[in-house]
Amino acid sequence: MLKLDEILVTRNWVGKPVRRKEDIRLVKGEAAYVDDLNMDCYQAAILRSPYAHARISRIDLTKAGALKGVVAVLTGQEVARETKPISARAITRPATQYVMAADKVRYVGEPVAAVVAEDRYIAEDALDLIEVEYEPLKPVVTIEDALKPDAPLVFEEAGSNVLMHDKMQHGDIEQAYREADLTLKEKFKVHRYSSTPLEPWAIIANYERASDSFVVWSNDQQHGRSLTNVCNTLGIPIHKLRLIVPDIGGGFGIKLALWPYIVILSLLAKKVSKPVKWIQTRREHLLAGSHAPDANVEIELALKKDGRILGLRITDIQNDGSFVHTAGIYGLIKFATMVGCYGIKATRAELLSIVTNKAPTVQNRGVGKPTMIFALERMVDIAAKRLGLDPSEIRLRNFVKPDQMPHTTPSGEIYESGDYPECLRKALRLVGYEESKKKRDDGRKTGKYIGIGISSGVEPGTSNLGYYYTARGLPEYTGNAEGAIVGIDYDGNVNVILGSVDSGQGHATTTAQVVADMLGISPERVSTANTMDSLISPFLGHSGVYSNKFNDVDLGAVIMATKKVRDKMLKIASHMLGASVAELKLKDGKVCLAKNEEKSVSFREIASLAYKRILLLPEGVEPGLKEIAYYKNPIAKLPNREDFNIQLTHSNSVHVVVVEVDVETGTVNFLRYVIVHDCGNQINPGIVEGMVIGSTVHGIGASLLEEFVYNEEGQLLSTTFMDYLKPTAIGVPKFELGHMESACPYTLLGTKAVGEGGSLPSLAAIANAVEDALSPFGVKVTSLPITPEKVLRAVRETKEI
Amino acid sequence: MYPNRFEYFAPTSLQEALSLLSIYQDEAKLLAGGQSLLSLMKLRLANPKYLIDLGHIADLNYIRQNGDKIAIGAMTTYAQIKDSELLRKDCPLLVKTASVVGDVQVRNRGTIGGSLSHADPAADMPAAVLASGAELKAVHLNGERWIKAEEFFVTTFTTALAPNEILTEIRAPTLAGHKTIYLKAAPRPTDFAIVGIAACLRLGPNNRCEGIAMGVTGASDKAYRPQALEKALQGEKLDFYTIREAAARVTEGIEVNENIHASSGFRSHLAQVYTARAIQTAMNS
Repeated sequence: MLKLDEILVTRNWVGKPVRRKEDIRLVKGEAAYVDDLNMDCYQAAILRSPYAHARISRIDLTKAGALKGVVAVLTGQEVARETKPISARAITRPATQYVMAADKVRYVGEPVAAVVAEDRYIAEDALDLIEVEYEPLKPVVTIEDALKPDAPLVFEEAGSNVLMHDKMQHGDIEQAYREADLTLKEKFKVHRYSSTPLEPWAIIANYERASDSFVVWSNDQQHGRSLTNVCNTLGIPIHKLRLIVPDIGGGFGIKLALWPYIVILSLLAKKVSKPVKWIQTRREHLLAGSHAPDANVEIELALKKDGRILGLRITDIQNDGSFVHTAGIYGLIKFATMVGCYGIKATRAELLSIVTNKAPTVQNRGVGKPTMIFALERMVDIAAKRLGLDPSEIRLRNFVKPDQMPHTTPSGEIYESGDYPECLRKALRLVGYEESKKKRDDGRKTGKYIGIGISSGVEPGTSNLGYYYTARGLPEYTGNAEGAIVGIDYDGNVNVILGSVDSGQGHATTTAQVVADMLGISPERVSTANTMDSLISPFLGHSGVYSNKFNDVDLGAVIMATKKVRDKMLKIASHMLGASVAELKLKDGKVCLAKNEEKSVSFREIASLAYKRILLLPEGVEPGLKEIAYYKNPIAKLPNREDFNIQLTHSNSVHVVVVEVDVETGTVNFLRYVIVHDCGNQINPGIVEGMVIGSTVHGIGASLLEEFVYNEEGQLLSTTFMDYLKPTAIGVPKFELGHMESACPYTLLGTKAVGEGGSLPSLAAIANAVEDALSPFGVKVTSLPITPEKVLRAVRETKEI
Repeated sequence: MYPNRFEYFAPTSLQEALSLLSIYQDEAKLLAGGQSLLSLMKLRLANPKYLIDLGHIADLNYIRQNGDKIAIGAMTTYAQIKDSELLRKDCPLLVKTASVVGDVQVRNRGTIGGSLSHADPAADMPAAVLASGAELKAVHLNGERWIKAEEFFVTTFTTALAPNEILTEIRAPTLAGHKTIYLKAAPRPTDFAIVGIAACLRLGPNNRCEGIAMGVTGASDKAYRPQALEKALQGEKLDFYTIREAAARVTEGIEVNENIHASSGFRSHLAQVYTARAIQTAMNS
C-alpha cells in the first residue's frame, strides 16, 4: 500500500476545513437535479394500491386511456408479461414480486398501473379514471401478526412469512455462559422511520427507437448495481441502457433501490415518442418510497460480576415489509458489529426477515446499526445498574483497548484503529461528568428530572458487498471498489470524473484537496464532474454513494489515477529538463529540479507536449494526460460463514447526553449534547463536523419524533410532513464536539467512515438519558420513539417506555 | 401534490371579490395566504373549482386604532401582527400568538383572516381571538354584520360565515392592564397545537380574578372558550391549588380529539397542564 508521504507532495490542503466548493451553486439553486434537466418530456403518474393486502380481480384503463392528453397506460399484468421478477438477495424462500403488482397487492402504495400524459396534472386526473376492483385480504402488519401459525401468507409460494432465518455462532459461546456469573436478557422494539431526502426519487427515461435502447436520467445512489438490475429485469443486454446520474439532492441510502421504478419508466418510454418523466411526490415518498424496517431485538449478556461481558446473544426479527430485493439485509449488517466497541469473545445471532403488508424497506442511514447499538448500549446500561457500576465504568472495562488494535471480532470484522477508552474519557471531560451528576442529583431534590445518557458505537463503512452471502451461497458481488479518471487539460488544470455522484458529502471539495496536495497546486485548479454517465464514467458493480465508502475506495481511485498522471508528467518533465525523475519535485503547478527550483517546466508546458507537440514527447510515452484507475479495499475477505468482514473501516464515537424530562407533559429537553468522534485522519474537518451534527439530528428525530404509524388495516397514517415529524433547526440542541484521529492503516489517507456516525449511538444515548432522568419513577426504556405520551404513561402507570 | 384543475381570480377590490363569491358560492374558495388551503389542494383533499385570491385587495391589510379597539385587516400577515408596536402595547396576546404560528415562511405568507376563516381546529389564532374578546366583520354584497369570536367557530373547517360572506376585519378590545399569554403543546415548535391555551386575566388586589377569558385550541373540533373553567375562577383568589383544581374543567363537556400525535386522554391531560401553566405564566408576566 502507498504510504502517505508517497501520496502527498504538500500538506497544504488535506486536513484543513476548506470551504465547500459546492455550496454557492446549491444555495443559489443552480444545481441540475433530474427535474431541472431541460428536456421536452411527457409526464408519468402511478396508481397505487389503497389496500395493504388484496387481490386485483379486475383493472380497466379504458376511460383513463381515453382522457384527452393521455398518451400511454401500463398495468401490472403487462409488466409481469414483459419483465422478470425483482431479484432477491438475502432471503432463502421463494417470493415472486414484480415492479408493479399484477394479481395481488402487498402494501398500501404498491404500484398497480401507470399513465403517461402531456403533463402531470392530466396524468393525475387520469389515475382517478382507472377502475380497479380489489378483493381485500386480511393484512399482516406487525411482526407478531406475521408469526402467528394461522397468519395469512404475504407470498403464498414461500409457505411462511419468514423469508430468511439464519443462525450464526462465533467464538465459544457455551464456555462464555459456563463461566458467567449472571446473564441478563431484555427485549427491545425499534419503530419504522426513514431519511426523507429533500429531493425525492426522480427519473426521466427515453427510448431511442432506431437503436432499440434506453437513456435514463435518475438520482440513483447505487448505479453500478442498478444498471444490472434494470437490464436483467427488462431482459436486455447492458449496452441497451445508458444511465446518467446528475446532481442528487440527498440520499441517505433511500435512493439505493429506486431501480424498480426505472423499469416502469423504461416500459412507459417504449410506448411513446418522447422522454417520460416521473418525479415522486412527497406523499408517494413517505407512503411507498423506502423505510427502515421496524424490529424486535432480544439481547442477552453473559457477564462476570465485575462487569466483563463474556458472551452476547441476539435474536433479531426484522419487519422488512414487502420488497424482496432488500429483505434480510438489515439483520446481516447488524450482526456484523453486534459486539459494538467491546472485546466480547463469543456471540450467537439468530436473524429473521419477516415479510408483511407494510411498505418496502431499503438501506436507510446506518442500516440496522442504530437498532443494534440501541439494544446493546441500553443493555450495557441495564447491566451497569444491576451490578452497581457507573455506566462509564462498565464500558471502560469492556472496550477493546488501543494496544489490541487492529482487533478482530469473533465473526471476523477487523477494527483497524481507535482509542475507545480515551474517546469516552474525553467525552466525560467535555460534559463535566461529575458536575453533571451533581446537578442531576441536586435537581431531583427540587422536582427536576435530569438524566445523563452515554452511548458508544462503532460506525462501519465501505461494505464488503456480498455480506448477504450467509444464507444464499456465493454472491454476485464481493469486496468494494470504485473508479476514477483524472486528467490534466491544456492549461495544466485538473479534471476529475468519479465513479460515484455526490449527494451532499462534498466530493468535489475533498477530491480537490487531495489532488491539490498530490500535485502541489491549489484546489481551485481541480474540477470534479458531479455526473455519472455509464457510457463515459469509470464505474464498477460497487459504484455509487453509500456505505461511507468515499473516503476509502473512491478517493483511493482518485489517488491511483492522479498518481498515474503525476508519474507521466514527471517522465515528460524529466525529458524536458534533462534530469532524472528522482531529481524532480512538484511545486506551485510546476515540476522543478529539487536542488534548483528556478529550473522548471509548468504543467501547462508539459500538457502542451502531451496534447499538441507530441513529436517532442520522450520515446515510448503515449500522448495525452488522462488516466483511469480502479481501487479496491485491501482487507475485504471472501465470503465465509466462519470468518468474514462485512464492513471494511470502523470509526467510533461516544455520545453523552444530558436531558431534562418534564414529567407533567412528557417532553424531553436537551441540556447538553456532547459527541467525541474518531474517523481516523480527516480530510476536511469542516465537512466532518457537518456530517456528525447532521447525522446526530437524524438520530434525535428517530428517538423522539419520527415514526411511520400504521393502523391494523395496514394503512399508513403518517403520509405528510405534518404527521411524519422531522426535527427542524429550532429545537435541536447545541452540539459540543470533540475529535480524535486514529489513522486507519488500511486506507490510503488513514481515513475512515463518516456520515452515518451520529445516527447510530444517538438513539441509545437519548434513551439512556431519559431512563436515568426517570429513575425515581423506576421507568425502563425498551422502545422508541420516546414520545411525550409514552413518557407520561410510563411515569404514571406502566413504568416502561 | 398536483391539485385538480381550478380557475384563478385575482380581484383588486372587495366588491369584485364579493361579486365573484356570490356567483360561485360553494364551488369557490378564498385564497388568503394559502398556507393551509394550498396544501389541501395539492393533496386533492380540497378541490375548489374557483380560487379567489384576496391578496391583491389593497385595503384589507392594516392594523389601526379605532376608538378603544384595534382594527386588524383580514389580510394582515402573522409577521405584521408579530411586529406591530400598536398591538404589542395594547393587545399583546395577538402578538404573542402570532409569534409562534408555524415558521418564518408561514408567518410571512399566512394571514389572520385566512386562519380564522379556515377554522382549523388546531390553529393558534382562534384561541387568541376568543380570549381577547374580539369581534369579526363579515361582509357580503348587500351589507355587513359583526360576529362575536365565540360564535364564529362552528366545527372543523366550518365557521359562521355564509357562503357569500368574506371576513374583512378583526376588531379586538385594547387590553391594557390585562395579563395575557398563549402557550401551546406541540411536538415541534413549528407545529399545529396538540393543545393551545390563550389566557387573558384581569387581576385585582391579592391576585383576585376580576376578569378571565380563555381560548382553547387543538382539543376539540373547534376552538372554544372553556366556560366552566372561567366561571370557576371568576372572582376567586388565584393561588396554585385553585388554578390546578379549576384547570381540570378545561375540557368539561367537550369531546376531545384523538389522532396519532395524542390520544384524547393525553390531550385532555395536556389541556389541563397547559391551562394551569398559562394562567400562572400570565399572572407572573
